[in-house]
Amino acid sequence: MTPAPLQRPAPATALDSTTISRAKLGDIDAFTAIVEAYHSRCLRFARAMLRNPDDAEDMVQEAFVRLYRALPRYEERQRFESWLFQILGNCCRTANTAFRRHDARTVDDEVLTRVPSPHTTGSALDNEWGDDVRRALADVPDYNREIFLLHYIEGFAYDEIERMTGIKQSALKMRVKRASDMLRSKLAARYG
Amino acid sequence: MSNDAPDPILDRAIDELRRLPPVDPVAIRRIVAAAAEARVTAADEPVFVAGSSGRSIRIWSAIGLAAAAAVAGFIVRGAVTTKAPAQVVAQTPVATTTSESLTQVTSSSAESSPILQQFIFENAHAHSVSVVGDFNKWDRSTAPMQRSSDDATWSVIIPIVPGRHIYGYMVDDSLFTLDPRAPKVKDVDLGTEGSVVMVGRP
Repeated sequence: MTPAPLQRPAPATALDSTTISRAKLGDIDAFTAIVEAYHSRCLRFARAMLRNPDDAEDMVQEAFVRLYRALPRYEERQRFESWLFQILGNCCRTANTAFRRHDARTVDDEVLTRVPSPHTTGSALDNEWGDDVRRALADVPDYNREIFLLHYIEGFAYDEIERMTGIKQSALKMRVKRASDMLRSKLAARYG
Repeated sequence: MSNDAPDPILDRAIDELRRLPPVDPVAIRRIVAAAAEARVTAADEPVFVAGSSGRSIRIWSAIGLAAAAAVAGFIVRGAVTTKAPAQVVAQTPVATTTSESLTQVTSSSAESSPILQQFIFENAHAHSVSVVGDFNKWDRSTAPMQRSSDDATWSVIIPIVPGRHIYGYMVDDSLFTLDPRAPKVKDVDLGTEGSVVMVGRP
């Protein structure tokens, strides 16, 4: 059982059609507009992807710097958003590999308490639910979690994720299903 | 049960995970500053000392001299016959060296000293062409190519540290083009293709 198809979340700020072209030519103001449009989404993705969420700010910065350097090579027939999240996903995977080498433990309660929830308002009950969701998600293996996040949280269609990752759609759907099943079973044990 | 059946717990979890962190103007400014710093500027140019004379030059400033030499080479090639060509004009990127060896001040090893590398690209319709690669941080302003007298061939000579490098040509400041004479490789970080050049000492 998986949820019904979801609407693609809109970027935090709509980009002007020429912004990317201007950034490609080195216009730093246009690049700033891109960072403003996508920073929150990238941070949300990195916090959920990284085994050490404390690294999220650094990885988002690294991804944007790589993107800025590579902008001259950006081909406009490619979807910009897919390209950005492809770069960010690579940064997060590299960071997870390095983190695993230094510390084999999984994300624990200590790490979660150091990572603020994205929302600072709301009741204690809401925050507890949010922390439980993030804890359950952290238990999902990286390779399933990334695809789950790209599809259900960032709103990429399976054919786009296939182009981004090179993984066939049937395998992508299986990974999302496994991530969904694991998330559901962890949460159902307490909230079901 | 259908795949589209409602799943309240999972739907609620997805709603929770979709909540965006607040916009952080400080972090955005920091990222933009880091990106701007990542570009090559004149102040970033490594300083080289040429031979025993002790004269120091900025490496990217040397590009102008090298480019001028390349243009002169094209002109001379059509007018003068010589038994021993002094500089190789290669069909694919080939390392050449100057008569004086260049030593990087900050380098302790000769293996890491940059080697002059010539790039040649054919395009009769371009108005401008530059070489961009990991060696110049993909900055198209640092290695503009010079058009030869036949109007179709562009060339530049730039110093590059030995190793494997990914590069391409930026045509008219907007179109990234691979080198048709060089092998291609997929840049795993960025998902795009680039041309490959191996720079090394013989």
